Amino acid sequence: MEAQSPFTTLIEISNYQSTTGKKNLPGDFALWIFIFAEMLVFGVLFVAYAFTRAYHVELFNESQLTLSRTSGAINTLVLITSSYFVVNGVSAIKQGLSKQCGYWLIGAFLLGGIFIIIKILEFHAKYAADISMSTNAFYMFYLSLTFFHFMHVLMGMIILAFIIFKVLNDGYSAKDYVGVETGASFWHMVDFLWIILFPLVYIIR
Amino acid sequence: MKQINSQSNISATVIWLILVALTLATWRIGEAGMVGKSAMLLLLFIAMIKSQMVANYFMALRHTRLIWRGIMFGYFVIVGGLIALAYLRSLA
Amino acid sequence: MKYTSQAVAKPYFIAAIALFLGQILFGLIMGLQYVVGDFLFPAIPFNVARMVHTNLLIVWLLFGFMGASYYLIPEESETELFSPKLAITTFWVFLAAGAITVLGYLLVPYASLAKWTGNDLLNTMGREFLEQPLPTKVGIVLVALSWLFNITMTMLKGRKTAISLILTLGMLGLAVFFLFSFYNPVNLVKDKFYWWWVVHLWVEGVWELILGAMLAFVLIKVTGVDREVIEKWLYVIITMTLVTGIIGTGHHYYWIGTPAYWQWWGSIFSALEPIPFFMMTVFAFNMVNKRRREHPNKAAVLWALGTSVVAFLGAGVWGFLHTLAPINYYAHGTQLTAAHGHLAFYGAYALVVITMISYAMPILRGRAANPERAQIMEMWSFWLMTVSMFFIALLLTGAGVVQIWLQRISTTPMSFMAVQDSISIFYWAREAAGVVFLIGLLLYIGSFFVKGESRAIE
Ligand code: HEM
Ligand code: HEM
Ligand code: HEM
Ligand SMILES: [Fe+2]
Repeated sequence: MEAQSPFTTLIEISNYQSTTGKKNLPGDFALWIFIFAEMLVFGVLFVAYAFTRAYHVELFNESQLTLSRTSGAINTLVLITSSYFVVNGVSAIKQGLSKQCGYWLIGAFLLGGIFIIIKILEFHAKYAADISMSTNAFYMFYLSLTFFHFMHVLMGMIILAFIIFKVLNDGYSAKDYVGVETGASFWHMVDFLWIILFPLVYIIR
Repeated sequence: MKQINSQSNISATVIWLILVALTLATWRIGEAGMVGKSAMLLLLFIAMIKSQMVANYFMALRHTRLIWRGIMFGYFVIVGGLIALAYLRSLA
Repeated sequence: MKYTSQAVAKPYFIAAIALFLGQILFGLIMGLQYVVGDFLFPAIPFNVARMVHTNLLIVWLLFGFMGASYYLIPEESETELFSPKLAITTFWVFLAAGAITVLGYLLVPYASLAKWTGNDLLNTMGREFLEQPLPTKVGIVLVALSWLFNITMTMLKGRKTAISLILTLGMLGLAVFFLFSFYNPVNLVKDKFYWWWVVHLWVEGVWELILGAMLAFVLIKVTGVDREVIEKWLYVIITMTLVTGIIGTGHHYYWIGTPAYWQWWGSIFSALEPIPFFMMTVFAFNMVNKRRREHPNKAAVLWALGTSVVAFLGAGVWGFLHTLAPINYYAHGTQLTAAHGHLAFYGAYALVVITMISYAMPILRGRAANPERAQIMEMWSFWLMTVSMFFIALLLTGAGVVQIWLQRISTTPMSFMAVQDSISIFYWAREAAGVVFLIGLLLYIGSFFVKGESRAIE
C-alpha cells in the first residue's frame, strides 16, 4: 500500500474524516491552525509577563492591586457560562434541534456582550486614571493582554452571530454541523485563554 | 443516540459547576490576599486544570487523536511550568 | 490564450524584464563601489546608483504585477478585460514616467531635481524607496488607480473567484498604502513611523496577497488540483499574513523613538510572520505532488516551487533571524539586513513575477509551453540566479555577523569604516556572485529567442 503523504493527512483532516476510529479535531481544521497560532501568541505573552515580573516584583505587586479582582472574576464566570451554553448549542444541533441550538448560542452571545461591557468599564477606569501602555511594564502587559483578548471576544461574537443567523434559518442539520463546531471551538479557546489570564494578571502575586 | 447526548449534557453541567466553584475559589484566595509559593502554585494549578477541563470536555478533545490531546496538555504544562519557574525565581 | 485582451500583458512583461536587467547592472556597479570606492565617480555616485537599483526593483515588480493581473483576471473572470485600451495607455504612461524619473536621477543633481519638480510645494522626496519626484508619485497613484479600475470592472462583469478577489484586495492595499508616501511629517519619528506603512505593509502585508493569488493561479493551472482545496488554504494563509504582518510592523519600531511596548508587540507578532510563508511552501509542494496532469511547461513549475521555497528562506528564516528586539538591537541596519532584503525580495517577488511570466508568456505567444531547449535554458537560469542569490545572502550574512561582532559586541569596538575594510573579502565575493546572477538573467532573456519544436495550445 502506498504510504500516506502529509498532504493526504492534511486533506483528510481538513475534510473532517479519519481512517482511524479516533475523531479529528471538532470543526474545520483550517480554524485549528489559527487556534494553535493564537495559543502560541498568548502563551508567549503569558510567559513574557511572568519573566518580566521577576525583574520588577514590587512594581507588579503594587500596580496589580489597582485592578478590580471582582470584575475579573465576574467576567470569568460570564465566559465559562457562555462556553457552557455553546456546548449545549452544539449538542442540540447534533440532534437536529436548530431552534434550541440558536437559543443557546444567543445566550452565549449575550454573555459575550456582558463581558465586553465590564471590560470597557475597566478600560475606562484606567484611561480616566491616565494609565496607558507607557505607564509601566505591568500596565503595558495588562493592557496589551486584555485588549488583545478583548479583540478575540469581539471576533468570537461576530462568528457566533453568523452561526446564529444561519442556524435559525435552518442552515445546519444533524448531519451538517461542522460550522457550529468550528465557531464553538474558537469560543472555547477565547474562554480558556481568559481562564489563564485572569489569575495570572489579576490574582497571583 | 438521544441518551448519549443527554448524558454528555449532564457531564457538561457538572464540569460547568466545577469551573464556577474553582473560579470562586480563585477569587476568594485573591481577596484574602494570600501570597507566597504555595498560594502561587495552587492558583496556577487551578487555572491549568480549568483550562484542561474546557479543552477536554467543552471542546470535546477527549475523543480525538492522541496528538491533539497531547498538544493541548503539553501547552498547559509548558506554559504553566514556565510561569511557575519565573515566579519561583523571583521568590528565591 | 483564452481571451484576446490578455495580450496586453505582453508589453508589461517585456518592460519588467528589461528593467530587471537595469536593476542588476546598477547593483553590480554598487557592489564594485563597495570595494573600489571611486569607481565611476563622479558620474554615478553610490547614492544615485542605490536609488536607481531599488527604484528599478520596485518599478519592474509593479510592471510584473500589472501584467500578471491583466493576464490573470480575464481568465479567472471568464470575460474580456474591461478596457484593453486603458491598459495599454497606462503602460506607456508608466514606462515614460519611469524612464524620465531614472534619467532625472542619473543626469540631474538630486537637490535640483527636487527643486524643479515641486518638492517645496509638498515635501515628499529624499526617503529610501520613496525618492521619486512629486509628479512621478502622483503618476504612480494614477497608474495604480487605472489598473485597479480596469481589473475591478472586469471582475464585476464576470465570474468572481477567491483568487481574483484576493489579488484585487492586494492591489487596493498597494494603492492605499502608497498614499502614505505623500505624508512626510517634520518630526523624524513620525516620518519613519509612516514610512514603514508603505515599505513594511507592502512587502509583509498587501503584496503577500498578490503573491499568494498569483502562486495559487499558476499552481491550479499547472497541476489541475481542485480549486476548492486551494482556495480554502489561500484564505488561511492570507488571514495569517495580515494578522501577523500588520502588528508585525512593530519590528521596525524598536529604536526610532516610538513607545517601548512595540518591542513586545513587534517581536511577538513578527516572529509569527514566517508561518504563512511556511504554509505557502507546504501548499505548493503538496499541490505539485497531487497533480492531476503533466503540464508541458516544466519550467513554470520549477519557478513556482522555487518561489515558495526561497520566499520562505528569505522572508521567513532570514527575517526571523533579526526580528526579535534583543537581537535586532545588535543587528539593526547591518549587512544582515541587506542579506535578508535581497533574498526576500528575490524569493518572494522577483520569482513570483518570473513564475507568472514563464507560465503566461508562451501562451501569449501562441503555444502551451516553450520548446524543450528553451525550457532547459530557463531551468539553468533559475538555478544560476537562485544559487548565486543564495550566496549573496550568505556572504552578506557573514559580513553582517563580523560587522556586528567587531563594531557592536566586542569589548574594544572598531569604527564603522575600519570594520568595512576588514570585511572587504565578503564584498568581493558578493560581486562575483552578482556576476553569476547576471549570467543567469541573460540566459533567461536568451531563452525567449530559442526556436524549436513546441506544442500547440491544448
Ligand atoms: C517578502 C517579504 C519580505 C521582504 C521583501 C522584506 C524586505 C526587507 C527589506 C528590504 C528590509 C530593509 C529595509 C530598510 O531599508 O531598512 C527589511 C528589514 C527587515 N525585515 Fe524584512 N522583508 C520581508 C519579510 C520579513 C519577515 C517575514 C520578517 C520577520 C520574520 C522580516 C523582518 C525584518 C526586520 C526585523 C527588518 C529590520 C532590520 C533592521 O532592523 O535593520 N522581514 N526587510
Ligand atoms: C543607537 C543607534 C542607532 C539608531 C538610533 C539608529 C536609528 C536608525 C533609524 C531611525 C533608521 C531608519 C529606520 C530603520 O531603518 O529602522 C535607521 C536605519 C539604518 N541604520 Fe541605524 N540606528 C542606529 C545605529 C546604527 C548603526 C551603528 C549603523 C551602522 C552600521 C546603522 C545603520 C543603519 C542602516 C544601514 C539603516 C538603513 C538605512 C537605509 O536602509 O537607508 N544604524 N537607523
Ligand atoms: C545581483 C547582483 C546584485 C548586487 C551586486 C546588489 C547590490 C546591492 C547593493 C550594494 C545595495 C546597497 C546596500 C547598501 O545600501 O549598503 C543593494 C541594495 C538593495 N538591493 Fe541589491 N544587488 C543585486 C541584486 C538585487 C536583486 C536581484 C534584488 C531583488 C530582487 C535586490 C534588491 C535590493 C534591495 C531591496 C536593496 C535595499 C536593501 C536594504 O535597504 O537593506 N538586489 N543591492
Ligand atoms: Fe518588516
